[in-house]
Amino acid sequence: MVEKRKLASGLTTIQKTFVRSRNGGCMKIVREHYLRSDIPCYSQACNHCITNLKPDAQGNLPLLVLLDLPLKLKNGGQHYVVVDTNVVLQAIDLLENTECFYDVVVPQIVLEEVKNRSFPIYQRLRALVKAADKRFVVFHNEFHEETYITREKDESINDRNDRAVNRCAQWYNEHLAKYSSTKNPIKVILVCNDRNNRKRAIAEGIDARSLEDYIESLPNGDMLRDLIPTENESFEKNAAEIAYPEYYSTSRTMAGIKNGTLYQGVFNTSTYNILEGSVLTPAFKKPLLIVGTKNLNRAFNGDLVIVELLPKDKWREPSTTILEESSIGANDNADDNSQEDLVSDKERRMLALEAVKATIHQGEKKLQPTARVVSITRRSWRFYVGQIASSSVDNETSNASQTCFVILMDKVLPKIRIKTRKAKELLGQRIVVSVDAWPSNSKYPQGHFVRSLGAIETEGAEREALLIEHDVEYRPFSKAVLDCLPKEGENWKVPENLDNGDEQLKKRVDLRDKLVCSIDPPNCQDIDDALHAKPLPNGHYEVGVHIADVTHFVKPNTALDSEGASRGTSVYLVDKRIDMLPMLLGTNLCSLNPYVERFAFSVIWELDENAEIVDVKFMKSIIKSREAFSYEQAQLRIEDGSQNDELTQSIRILLKLSKKLKQKRMDAGALNLSSPEVKVHMDSETSDPGEVEVKKLLETNSLVEEFMLLANISVARKIYDAYPQTAMLRRHAAPPSTNFEALNEILRVRKPGMSISIESSKALADSLDRCVDPNDEYFNTLIRIMSTRCMMAAEYFSSSSYGYPDFRHYGLAVDIYTHFTSPIRRYCDVVAHRQLAGAIGYEMLDSQHRDKHKMELIVRNINKRHRNAQFAGRASIEYYVGQVMKNNESTQEGYVMKSFNNGIVVLVPKFGVEGMIKLEMLGDANSAAYDEEKYELSFTDFKGVSRTVGIFDKVQVAVKSVQDEVSGKRKVQLVLV
Amino acid sequence: MSRLELYSPEGLRVDGRRWNELRRFDCKINTHPAFDGSSYVEQGNSKVICMVRGPMEPPMRSQVNQTQAVIEMNLNIASFSTLQRRKRSKNDKRMIEMKTTLERTFEQSVMSHLYPRTLIEVNVQVLAQDGAVLATMTNAITLALIDAGVAMYDYVSAVSVGIHDQTPLLDLNVLEENDMSCLTIGVVGKSEKLAMLLLEDKMPLDKLENALAVAIAGGHRIRDLMDDEVRSHGNQRVSKLTS
Ligand SMILES: [Zn+2]
Repeated sequence: MVEKRKLASGLTTIQKTFVRSRNGGCMKIVREHYLRSDIPCYSQACNHCITNLKPDAQGNLPLLVLLDLPLKLKNGGQHYVVVDTNVVLQAIDLLENTECFYDVVVPQIVLEEVKNRSFPIYQRLRALVKAADKRFVVFHNEFHEETYITREKDESINDRNDRAVNRCAQWYNEHLAKYSSTKNPIKVILVCNDRNNRKRAIAEGIDARSLEDYIESLPNGDMLRDLIPTENESFEKNAAEIAYPEYYSTSRTMAGIKNGTLYQGVFNTSTYNILEGSVLTPAFKKPLLIVGTKNLNRAFNGDLVIVELLPKDKWREPSTTILEESSIGANDNADDNSQEDLVSDKERRMLALEAVKATIHQGEKKLQPTARVVSITRRSWRFYVGQIASSSVDNETSNASQTCFVILMDKVLPKIRIKTRKAKELLGQRIVVSVDAWPSNSKYPQGHFVRSLGAIETEGAEREALLIEHDVEYRPFSKAVLDCLPKEGENWKVPENLDNGDEQLKKRVDLRDKLVCSIDPPNCQDIDDALHAKPLPNGHYEVGVHIADVTHFVKPNTALDSEGASRGTSVYLVDKRIDMLPMLLGTNLCSLNPYVERFAFSVIWELDENAEIVDVKFMKSIIKSREAFSYEQAQLRIEDGSQNDELTQSIRILLKLSKKLKQKRMDAGALNLSSPEVKVHMDSETSDPGEVEVKKLLETNSLVEEFMLLANISVARKIYDAYPQTAMLRRHAAPPSTNFEALNEILRVRKPGMSISIESSKALADSLDRCVDPNDEYFNTLIRIMSTRCMMAAEYFSSSSYGYPDFRHYGLAVDIYTHFTSPIRRYCDVVAHRQLAGAIGYEMLDSQHRDKHKMELIVRNINKRHRNAQFAGRASIEYYVGQVMKNNESTQEGYVMKSFNNGIVVLVPKFGVEGMIKLEMLGDANSAAYDEEKYELSFTDFKGVSRTVGIFDKVQVAVKSVQDEVSGKRKVQLVLV
Repeated sequence: MSRLELYSPEGLRVDGRRWNELRRFDCKINTHPAFDGSSYVEQGNSKVICMVRGPMEPPMRSQVNQTQAVIEMNLNIASFSTLQRRKRSKNDKRMIEMKTTLERTFEQSVMSHLYPRTLIEVNVQVLAQDGAVLATMTNAITLALIDAGVAMYDYVSAVSVGIHDQTPLLDLNVLEENDMSCLTIGVVGKSEKLAMLLLEDKMPLDKLENALAVAIAGGHRIRDLMDDEVRSHGNQRVSKLTS
């Protein structure tokens, strides 16, 4: 009983009735639903819709995206594609592939169904539509009066929706036939994996094909065939054997969480042992341990899982054994499910060993509660990079598809079973795979091949692999983004006439007469910051920090802004930089290059003789940098007594003040922590990595750093003052005492008399200063490196998330802090710029930066991106250090940082590399004994000499580079000499 | 339930309208001839009846104002008007706020100086709520007062508007209203004068002007729809008289 009414405005209204049940009750909901005739088909071949376009609130007309000359099939048919829900859910990778799927119509009902089933896939689909380069459109079939269909009596909602998709395809056919401007109307192909629905569609005269048939009918179908995701059934040969415990039902887990018997948290696999992981839940202070395949129950590193506690007699301490995926299950046969023994013998032995130990230590406080995974709320599945295990490929079978294992680069993840016809070809290549499912009767997760990056150890393949592994967006900027850049391109200039009627330009302060210069690493292309200083008549100093005015070009709510926000940060690899913003801005228009006029955002202080702030002003400005120095050049200029020009003198003022600022920070308890940072020198001609050196710090490094800190602090106070609820800030929490427990315990045993106190950052700094071994200069640095790993990570936050006392930046020992000085490469700084511009009344602050919820989303994303970028950078250095070592084997000094019952971890300061030496590499495994109390491992080495090594010991190691046979990863291998 | 696409990139709202389209607007006057004036208004699925008595002698002397008429508003929201059945008491804060807003609006719009020492009793009954309830009530009261023959300066036609990201959305339904800050205005006749403005959340100042412009245009369209009904009803009565 649908009542339809035509309204005067041309709309038809109907009432949609549906029943919703919640909490046992049941509600009838009636909603209005308007049908209209002015929804365009978005085809350029149509000469009807173009006459009936309606503008949006900004007055923009919709773009007709679908080409009038779309792609052809093998047999020549030009076509558009209509996809159904299951195809999107299963094959989103294929939709994103640049080799196929152009001119695609996504019916609204499909979009809605996708959103209800998987929000991440929905977002990817929306991104495809937005980017426009693959010509995807959403057709609102539910709002179109010719395609809206009502649910029939006794028809299930799914059947109704399938019918709606069919109707949509049919409508396109009719519509294009009627209004086509070309002679042969474009055909529509419905790609649909449901056999019954396909049959119905064909009966209605629609060209419906399964995904496989469709790909097959493309000219490049052969190439794409392997990319079709596996359907579940294809692997299920021996469905009878059930290996893993089944997951609990949703209702059971919901009830369990409610009454406190089940807990939810993010699962993390242990770095050194893939059969062990932990889940940190709000209910417990310590993480819950999860040990063994059955208890892990198919959880991936990073999944949101629900766990159940195990009885107390199963509680134990974290394992002291190293275990990698490569060492267990290396002999599994990829094709054969039935013979798999889920718990391998090796694993059983290890469990028993651990259990014995747990009973000995019963009652000690080291014991940790254990749990098992009973359900997975959200999978962390993404694209993974790996390589096909050569042992799983059958070289005899020629081109038939075969099942093989892919070993992932990320060692804490299990191998993935895929089916491919190209197994032989893909051997020795870095490939990208995607995980489809992990049924309870399959020992390994099932996935499909996505694409190949190239041969292992080629520069391009390794770099791309690294970027994918760290979830870094590295594709070129889309057209929509580039369209937001200034039309003038490289010729953009600061307007000559400052009084040209532009209100904003009038508000800028002209600082072109100031002697501004920039000091950066050599060959720096994106210069974010520049400085100036001059003495004032009253004996004080005027000091200015000028930051690239990125927000002049990156306006809120543009494609450029959302791309920057989603990238969050630039990523620096040894040989490449992945920009957050397009090159034109980063290295040209925004970059404060010397000798040219640039827009800047300036912070200008009046500082007294002791570098105390007397006054601070913030302004948008125009500057002209006089010189771009490298740290070394600036250092030389300062030291060169013959140079006494004004610019040099102002740098000397800056240096003098910066030393005072630094001293004040140190007195307040700022930490001087350490991490082994190294730099890889690239040969400038061949761009081969040459040598590795530990980064040197000059006085001028710290000159720039001090003023940047000062600017960040001043800006943080200002924006917090203006926007107490949504100011973009950065905090660094004090480390919880438990983090230092283990390190202090080791110190107590190994270095009596030394300890680290953490009551305040001052106390920590002082106690670190006291950890000195007169016989070993490096020991203090080693302790600093180890302490750094016990610290909390600093994080971005919006000011409503914490109370003022918790804003503290522990490491810098200041009460409030933000990032303001690098807007070219960090999105936090972009937000801080906008908020500061709002705070000084330069322009209105966009509503998204005044909305707590939206700020929360921004903050969460940039924290994640920041972390990923750091990891990617480190991984890139690690890779290149490995490459350098390839030709330079040598013996170096190393320090033991960790000890296990079957190996040790050694740090080599010269190269900043850290490596594990397993017992098998040390000597006779049977002779080994591990003294847990003393953190010492004793063994007989291959020469028959018995040795003992413990944490902090200085050892001589041979450093060489080897390629891991299983994962294909080149890494530094250390051997005790 | 996942979040709805309140305003899709293709420019369509949850119920299929575009940004500047009104919902279905149906109105009738003289629905309850037992009263001096009455009306029934549907704005989307928001449904309101209004009944007016007066101008009349006030039952109590204390209510008398020597210079002008007193307008008394009685709001009643049916417990079945929302999804979750909930009884709203007369002293509910929101009810009091709407009541005062309406009283002030109509004290200015009715030529109350023509009716000194009298009482105009306005009874509003909300039957169903689907967003923009205040606007629907305002329109119903306007029509009922006209039906009662009370002199007014002009129509007061009300409509709500919200801001979603950058886009002003006209005449919000309940799904939209729950998710964005919204503004209700009452426009006087075909002018740009406002007899009422109620903002129940905050709205960025730089967006306000744009939102008001959209709302005023919507108000004018509603005025025309009400005017049509009043005229056709009037014609009907006249034809009855002459025949
Ligand atoms: Zn068309």
